[in-house]
Amino acid sequence: MATAAEKSTKERLVSVLDDLEVLSRELIEMLALSRTQKLPQPGEDVQILEVLVQRDREFQELMAVAQSQGKLHEEMQRLEKEVEKRDSDIQQLQKQLKEAEHILATAVYQAKEKLKSIDKARKGSVLSEELIKYAHRISASNAVCAPLNWVPGDPRRPYPTDLEMRSGMLGLMANLPSNGVNGHLPGDALAAGRLPDVLTPHYPWQSSDVSVGMLPPHHGSDLGLEPPGHNKENEEDVENMSTDSSSSSSDSD
Amino acid sequence: MSGDGASEQARSRFQAELEFIQCLANPNYLNFLAQRGYLRERPFINYLKYLLYWKEPEYAKFLKYPHCLHMLELLQYEHFRKELVNAQCTKFIDEQQLLHWQHYSRKRTRLQQALAEQAPQQQPTQQHGNATAK
Repeated sequence: MATAAEKSTKERLVSVLDDLEVLSRELIEMLALSRTQKLPQPGEDVQILEVLVQRDREFQELMAVAQSQGKLHEEMQRLEKEVEKRDSDIQQLQKQLKEAEHILATAVYQAKEKLKSIDKARKGSVLSEELIKYAHRISASNAVCAPLNWVPGDPRRPYPTDLEMRSGMLGLMANLPSNGVNGHLPGDALAAGRLPDVLTPHYPWQSSDVSVGMLPPHHGSDLGLEPPGHNKENEEDVENMSTDSSSSSSDSD
Repeated sequence: MSGDGASEQARSRFQAELEFIQCLANPNYLNFLAQRGYLRERPFINYLKYLLYWKEPEYAKFLKYPHCLHMLELLQYEHFRKELVNAQCTKFIDEQQLLHWQHYSRKRTRLQQALAEQAPQQQPTQQHGNATAK
């Protein structure tokens, strides 16, 4: 750098001051000497004076330079402060932008969640009419709420009983050679509860014309979409008797 | 004709599955199935998974015994299927199911009793009101 090669202003000032000091001392010595003796060199004092004046001039110049440098330095500091201030402003702005981004991201996320839940709700919407109809159906048949006069020993249950299972479509399907008490039916996956047709007349509830007569119209008719319990409800009302020796609907409890 | 045959088949399949799934609400039937080893057969387990479509509202509205859906959900778990072999287990389930079934009616009778207790207090004031109206 150029400043390394040149002497700094401070050094030059100091050296000029040193020179001035030396010269003025010499001059004073000479003046002191000239009282007692004659000057060895006649023009030396004038020379020293000239050099002194020159040095003084240099000194003045250097002072002026130093002053202007000081002003520049001040300006530099002012500008640095300005830069710092701008820096902090930018950082502040950055923080605020980040915050805003965060808030917006949260808002967008929540809005998306809301939309999702709206979609879900719309998908699952059921007509209130249908809900009421369904609620009426499952309550009226005592499928989800026990009848008010229920006592242990009452064969009604919240699930299809043996009776109902056997008189449904599955129960009447296929012929099986063996006897059809709940515990002993062989067979495949859907076999449970199936009863051989040959044995149906042996059961007291089958002999009653109401049950047998009721089944075909409900099973064959309309669209077969009636719940299986529909006709069983009728059966139940007609024969409210305990079933055979099967393990379900036992009176033991 | 073939179209009718297919829809007839579909109808009877619908009805069969409707009946079967509701039979699952019967703990004794579940015990029966477990003891005969049906619950260990892979095809049967797959069938139970297939039956989960009854949970959709457009199918569920045909179910008369909604307990079957809960049982179906539990049946998806192997641990539950294993436990069903035990008769004590199914007896316990049966008892709890009955108690739950009676829960609402018990609540209602309690409510009715509470109302009945309040009624005699109101009656004298009503009669008094009627007398003055006349």
